[in-house]
Amino acid sequence: MLKKTMIAAALIGAAFATAAPAEAEDAEVMYKFYCAQCHGLTGKGDGPNVTKDFPVSPRNFTSAAEMNKLTDADMKNVVMDGGPAASKSPMMPPWSKTLTDAEVDALVGHLRKLCQCKGKQG
Amino acid sequence: MKAALRLGMALAFLALPTFSAQADPAAGEKIFNDGKCTDCHYTKGPAREKTIADQLAKKGPELWYAGSKFQKEWLAGWLQDPKPIRPLKFNSMTEKNPADHPKLAKADAGAVTDFLMSLTSDAVKPVKIKAKRNPKGRLIFTKKMPCSGCHQYPGRKGKISGGLMGPTLVGAGKRLNSDWIYAYLQQPKVFKPVKMMPVFVGLLSDKDMKNVTSYVANFKK
Ligand code: HEC
Ligand code: HEC
Ligand code: HEC
Repeated sequence: MLKKTMIAAALIGAAFATAAPAEAEDAEVMYKFYCAQCHGLTGKGDGPNVTKDFPVSPRNFTSAAEMNKLTDADMKNVVMDGGPAASKSPMMPPWSKTLTDAEVDALVGHLRKLCQCKGKQG
Repeated sequence: MKAALRLGMALAFLALPTFSAQADPAAGEKIFNDGKCTDCHYTKGPAREKTIADQLAKKGPELWYAGSKFQKEWLAGWLQDPKPIRPLKFNSMTEKNPADHPKLAKADAGAVTDFLMSLTSDAVKPVKIKAKRNPKGRLIFTKKMPCSGCHQYPGRKGKISGGLMGPTLVGAGKRLNSDWIYAYLQQPKVFKPVKMMPVFVGLLSDKDMKNVTSYVANFKK
């Protein structure tokens, strides 16, 4: 019994260690740093980079109707490889060389909080 | 006599750059430290930032590779008349740049320039990329990649457009050393381990990094 608990504790410890290494950034902190400059601090697509010259409007993350059209995998794909990976504007940058797989998953989770939606299941 | 004097003055003038007190990084360093520049800038590499919080805690850009990054003439002028480089306040997404950077008198600016130009990085190699209206570079900057989404730049007929979060690239050809621009694209982690600009290594080929560098370096105004 005791042994089992210890193994379980060790497993949980290991899971935490991989999910949250020392340098892992919080999803909201990452969102505000990397994404808000275009998508806006509250996700409305109104960040400071979106001037009158900006050719498209960045996705409004607070629109559940719009965000429900996308699966989590769709979002991850666009965040990693940029707009053109989903026939969208190149103004949505590719982040695959900047963010890790786990960081992008955390960001997708944060976007679901902003839209308060579950997204298309796929 | 007059001719000899003139010759003497000409010789003294030629000798100036090597013997003058102006090329004295130590004097500039003293002014830099006494002038509280160190409150907002660090001058010893390598880069210290490890997390987003580290980057956001800074009050001004790091200057430990200033001598590789800037053109000397621009630097001496800017220190006397510092016009905003980043459209927004440093590390802010909502406030405009207050345009209140400390100013230096001409002599001090010269000495501080000598000090800052002595701070170089081995990661910047003399590639000597020619600044020109490189059509491939322009296509990358304005269409293929989101560079223009975050940086102001002079487009067709010099019309200034672009995003506000990055430093303006208007006048980048006078301000930045093209070898540094290329090194920054190629080895971003050396200079900015944590930054709002995406890493393009592996997304832009080496050739295209040179093309886009050449295009950015041609923004002379
Ligand atoms: C330079 C501006 C910019 C930045 C920075 C940016 N985006 Fe975007 N993003 C856009 C634009 C523009 C679009 C809309 C593209 C279109 O509709 O053609 C978009 C669209 C999206 C979409 C929706 C794609 C779709 O299929 O509808 C997601 C998801 C997204 N961005 C996530 C992010 C995340 C996460 C970050 C931060 C890591 C981020 N973006 C940073 C500009 C940006
Ligand atoms: C209160 C903080 C503060 C102090 C003090 C300060 N600076 Fe700055 N410095 C900044 C900020 C913020 C910027 C960015 C300005 C901009 O983008 O327009 C900057 C930019 C610079 C730049 C250009 C760097 C770049 O990467 O664009 C140089 C060079 C510089 N400062 C030198 C100095 C010198 C020399 C002093 C002392 C006389 C000094 N600074 C004092 C905050 C400070
Ligand atoms: C999502 C916004 C964003 C995109 C996209 C972007 N940049 Fe930047 N860029 C920045 C920011 C912010 C900085 C300042 C510090 C940093 O690196 O985060 C910067 C810094 C720079 C600098 C150094 C300027 C200086 O004075 O220090 C150059 C040169 C540059 N970018 C060129 C480019 C090029 C070329 C592209 C396209 C291949 C590009 N940027 C794409 C936001 C961006």
